[in-house]
Amino acid sequence: MKIETTLSGSFPKLPLEPGAPNVRVIRNRMDQGKATQEELADATRETTKRILALQEGAGVDIPVDGQVAWDDAQTYLARGVPGFTIAGLIRYLDTNTYYRQPEITGPVSWKHPVTAEDFKAAQSMAHRPLKAVLPGPYSLYRFSRDLHYKDVNEGLRAVGEAVSREAKALEDAGALGLDLVEAPESWDLIPEVPAGKTVALGLVDARNTKLEDPARVAEGVRKARSMRSDLSWQLCPTASLEYLPVDRAAMKVARLTEAARLAS
Amino acid sequence: MPRGLWTTTVGSFPKPPHLERARNRFARGEISEAELRQLEREATIEVIRSQEEIGLDILVDGELYRGDMTTYFAELMDGFEISNPVRSYGNRYYRKPVATGRVRRTRPWTVDWWKFAQSQTKKPVKGMLTGPYTMMDWSFNEHYPSREALAMDLAEAIREEAMALAEAGAKFIQVDEPAISVRPEELKLAVKALGRAVEGVKAKTITHICYGDFDVIYPALLDLPVDMIDLEMANSRYDLLDRFRQHRFTKEIGYGVLDVHSHRIETKEEIKQGILRGLELLRPEQMYIDPDCGLKTRTVEEAKEKLAVMVAAVREVREERGITA
Repeated sequence: MKIETTLSGSFPKLPLEPGAPNVRVIRNRMDQGKATQEELADATRETTKRILALQEGAGVDIPVDGQVAWDDAQTYLARGVPGFTIAGLIRYLDTNTYYRQPEITGPVSWKHPVTAEDFKAAQSMAHRPLKAVLPGPYSLYRFSRDLHYKDVNEGLRAVGEAVSREAKALEDAGALGLDLVEAPESWDLIPEVPAGKTVALGLVDARNTKLEDPARVAEGVRKARSMRSDLSWQLCPTASLEYLPVDRAAMKVARLTEAARLAS
Repeated sequence: MPRGLWTTTVGSFPKPPHLERARNRFARGEISEAELRQLEREATIEVIRSQEEIGLDILVDGELYRGDMTTYFAELMDGFEISNPVRSYGNRYYRKPVATGRVRRTRPWTVDWWKFAQSQTKKPVKGMLTGPYTMMDWSFNEHYPSREALAMDLAEAIREEAMALAEAGAKFIQVDEPAISVRPEELKLAVKALGRAVEGVKAKTITHICYGDFDVIYPALLDLPVDMIDLEMANSRYDLLDRFRQHRFTKEIGYGVLDVHSHRIETKEEIKQGILRGLELLRPEQMYIDPDCGLKTRTVEEAKEKLAVMVAAVREVREERGITA
């Protein structure tokens, strides 16, 4: 039985080849007043194209757009939803990276799609259906600072409503699969998943450059299958690959699809 | 008369624009290493002079010859390779160390720079190192079976450098652990690794910590086996004092009074208020007054202006309270 491979969220934005379109360079030049918004849009599109081609080349079944325009997993959506403001730098999970913390400073009220146009643009460049990725309501709420709602459940409900309307907008834009990125799963949870669900197995470490042996990853897939025959499985990295150097991220994608071939 | 409220900085100073350009030109192979070193030495002399003019009590070399605070050391060690750039935040990227073998110190990392800086001034110059826990946490690990194994080998290497700095005459040695506050469950490991790094080092030992969730790690933080802990006070609006009220701060403190992430120059009055609030809970001889963090993200001018206001504020508090340096 074939196991499908997918990635989660963002991918390194830098090119492998020197001289290729590079959003980092363009942003630096914009800061000095030497590049335009259009040049950034061009570089963003070219980078997205490159990330899509890399996944297609490696044989990823359900590719993602790489979130090239996103600063991090939370603020891109939060910036576009009234009720949120963006505050100071906070460390992001267990990475040596920081994000600007969204603050809820008023009623969270979704007004218009934030990510749908980007999704359509990326889908038009891809040869197979892409997965759309949004922060899960729980994560978005947890990574934000609630200065408005008196009650956690009330705040969570409002954020949940905004995420679900954004998800609907993505569906209207043609997205078939949607990942709401929440806290990582673990082996211990597998027995508790309701029958018939699809579980994404994060068996390639997104936080370390050490390359996995595809045969061992395939063993992990077999182990999961032997635990539950009433679930469907996908194979993916443990998190977004953005915090790896681009060369290693590309090698990890190749190992991932190789492992899926061995396990199928 | 009580003594105290000595002024210092956390370590890095802004690189002057001509030095940034020279570093880029060196990276492209357009100037030689010797040419770059000469410019770094000149800029270091300038930073020492500037600190003397401002009137700081304990100086630093400014770290103008360093890029990233982990990569600089990893590049000089055996056992590390350096990765392609990885995104840090926004549009900032850095090359991350990758442990691919046993990590070891095979030559001095900072001793020559420390000696050079100290030769330019009669005031004490701090030795500045990055701690083993932070070096481990901010590196990829392809060699060691555990995070602890890598951290403890790093601790050995850092200890050799700290010993060499003390031997050369450094009276203050700061071993920074900004990563320590992120995983409270690893605080024990951080304490053990930092403890080894400064064990038997004959100097006043300091560690700087930032970006933390102090609710979780205080007062356990006081277990860190150093003489002084340097903390960001200003950018949390001195909220940490509430915790010190609940549980006394028992070590010496590097008391940060300048927000290094803001272009705004603090007023003398707000800095004085911050110090006076601290003096309600801390003895003057416990307190070293400094910026929240390294100044390398500010411009040369901003850094000078901020420090000048800080020193002026400290002088007034000393005078009002009859405290001498």
